[in-house]
Amino acid sequence: MVSVAELLSDPAIEAYIVRLIGEEGVELIKRFPEEEEYSDEELAERTGINLNSVRHTLYSLYEKRLAEYRRLKNTETGWLTYLWHLRLDRIRDVIEEDIKYILENLEARLAYEERNDFYMCKHCGVIYTFTESASWNFECPNCEEMLEHFDNELLVAALKKRVKKIRESLGSA
Amino acid sequence: MTEQEEEALHIIQTHRQGILQSELWKELNIDSRKCSRIVKRLLDAGLIERIEYRSDGIRTYLLRAKTRAIDPSLILAGGEILPCIGCERECVPEECSLLLDWMYQLVLEEYQG
Repeated sequence: MVSVAELLSDPAIEAYIVRLIGEEGVELIKRFPEEEEYSDEELAERTGINLNSVRHTLYSLYEKRLAEYRRLKNTETGWLTYLWHLRLDRIRDVIEEDIKYILENLEARLAYEERNDFYMCKHCGVIYTFTESASWNFECPNCEEMLEHFDNELLVAALKKRVKKIRESLGSA
Repeated sequence: MTEQEEEALHIIQTHRQGILQSELWKELNIDSRKCSRIVKRLLDAGLIERIEYRSDGIRTYLLRAKTRAIDPSLILAGGEILPCIGCERECVPEECSLLLDWMYQLVLEEYQG
């Protein structure tokens, strides 16, 4: 199985994991002994990371199927123990699922950028659509500065290219 | 890639379980010989795979698009991660300023590299 260090050496995968579980979560998975399973308390003790933070990280990973647990019942006390192990080998599939879902957002934004003309207030830095700008006689509603045409051609071209790459990568071009 | 090859690839990709070659040429509205040539070019380009298949004793092929592992770097622009990842805000992609910032990063990446 690919190691945590190897996965984190890919900047995109690292950025994804940081977004998901934060820097403290990354510390946990770096110190998580590979190929083994531990309870949350054992993990907190071994890694020196606060128990609440360990639990939060494990649940966040679990929601994305990047961590799993095995439940053990103590026959004498009836207490349940959850033994966790990582499934970071699934990370590429998980990122792919997210990208599939997010592609809709990017396509919606692209369509919006393509079908509208935009005007910007240089003073406030706010961008308005043609319809909004026309209703204010092309004066900024905040500072009354004249609005200027905002050329979004480069934004559209760059976004279009990325959407195309994603579609190709997902095999739905 | 010709228009017909693109169309054929698209049809194959939309059938996730694969499509029989004998069905493909009917969908493309071309004859089987022409379809074979298109399939050969897609095979040579490594875009599809072909599995021998018998349908009512007649030999044909099941064609499937090759799935490539996604390139995770598609979520990055200029080192910045796509803001939609893990976002819990109410989603209005048309007006999202975080997405606009990321799009600027895309433009910069485009012109720097």
